[in-house]
Amino acid sequence: MTDGKPAHNPSLAWREIDGSVVIISPADSMVHELNSTAGFIWKHTDGKRAAEEIASLLTAEFDVSAESALLDTLELLAVLEENGLVMFSPVMEGMRNG
Amino acid sequence: MASTPVMDGLIQRTVSLHLPFNVHFDVTYRCNERCVHCYLDHEDHGEMTTEEIKGVLDQLAEAGTFFLTFSGGEIFLRKDLFELLQYARRLHFDVCLKTNAILIDRQKAALLRELGVRQIQISIYSADADVHDAITKVRGSFGRSMEAIRLLKACGLRVKIACPLMKQNLMAYRTVLALAEELEVPYILDLTITPKMDGDTSLLALRNSGHDLLPVLQDPVLNPSAHGNQEAVKAGGITGSATSSGLESSAYDDIPCSAAHNSCYISPYGDVYPCVQMPVPTGNLRRQRFADIWYGSPQMQRVRAVRESHLPICANCSIRPYCERCPGLAQMEGGDLLGAYERACELAELNARLAGVANPVSAFHKKRNLAVTVGAASPFQILGTPLEASQ
Repeated sequence: MTDGKPAHNPSLAWREIDGSVVIISPADSMVHELNSTAGFIWKHTDGKRAAEEIASLLTAEFDVSAESALLDTLELLAVLEENGLVMFSPVMEGMRNG
Repeated sequence: MASTPVMDGLIQRTVSLHLPFNVHFDVTYRCNERCVHCYLDHEDHGEMTTEEIKGVLDQLAEAGTFFLTFSGGEIFLRKDLFELLQYARRLHFDVCLKTNAILIDRQKAALLRELGVRQIQISIYSADADVHDAITKVRGSFGRSMEAIRLLKACGLRVKIACPLMKQNLMAYRTVLALAEELEVPYILDLTITPKMDGDTSLLALRNSGHDLLPVLQDPVLNPSAHGNQEAVKAGGITGSATSSGLESSAYDDIPCSAAHNSCYISPYGDVYPCVQMPVPTGNLRRQRFADIWYGSPQMQRVRAVRESHLPICANCSIRPYCERCPGLAQMEGGDLLGAYERACELAELNARLAGVANPVSAFHKKRNLAVTVGAASPFQILGTPLEASQ
């Protein structure tokens, strides 16, 4: 489910270290490391921006097409959600296309 | 935390970049227990205020600190503890706590869970309440700590038991192991009793002798070296320092320890040291910025510059792989940050012997005994009492 505005799971600890984003989940002490592109998406995942907005920021920052940026962003967010690192706020009916 | 390729890579990078990845922060020295082996002065000599600590946390986050341990003293004596925890979590630190837990109730446990505290380390000295309470000097403390462990566990929090072993509780270690198993929590047995922070060495009388520690060192569960398992020895087994972060990495192979490389210690008064066990003052956060101390202090730089190969005695010691030499204790007990000291050598020889090394003698003991046996035909004959003879 990647509709809505993604936000970090608030229980996580994370830090940008030497260009990578490192995330630890206190629930299972699992350590995750994101490369610079994934880290960029992570840092702009703030519960206020939709995936499309994050993807356009990615396009502006990196040499990547809008289509590819969106695919990468959606794919990463899906993986992050699957691992419990990101949550999507529900989209209200009527706002989905608005 | 067990080392994984990701964590090992991170540690490698933080060591090479000198990032203060891991900070041990004592937010108070006040305590509601009076443990017989404690190295602290429990009087409050002017702890940092809430705002001062928040300012330090801002600086640590900016400097790249990720692992933050709040310890003491008893941290729950600070009325602002939850405010500090909330602030630390807002800055995305990975937060662990060290506490005796006797002030933790159901509500506090739930709050800790809500705040995303990753681990709470609690000192338990024995499964026998009388033994535990005699060490803490607080009647009923065992029961209260145990109740807190159950509450924390019930909230889904990760609890770790730390058990410093001294004369008063040596053989209780088996009961602590059984307790940890029953509670399904990890544990660490700490053989280290340190001098007080002011240098007073009277606490060392509480230490078990090497001979007395043999049952522990020989316990196959606790000491893999007894079975010659070098991989397990490298991984640290289940004994170690309760003050350590527990983060292991090959990045530390060429340096004495993580202190000043990617970790440091902050006192409740804002003093910064390379480690809680290394009494080398490097600066004060009430007068200086953290980054200025971390990168600019000559004392910090001196500690950071030390490599294993610089240790004049230990670098050439044949049983170094069996040794848990601590630079801070080398300073406190031997008077030299780079030097060898008796306790480390004694335990290294015991560990090496248990791992099957024939007649192991540390370089320090070889040198010392050479000095006292000048002219003897075979100075080494006086060394390395066989294990059987010492039992």
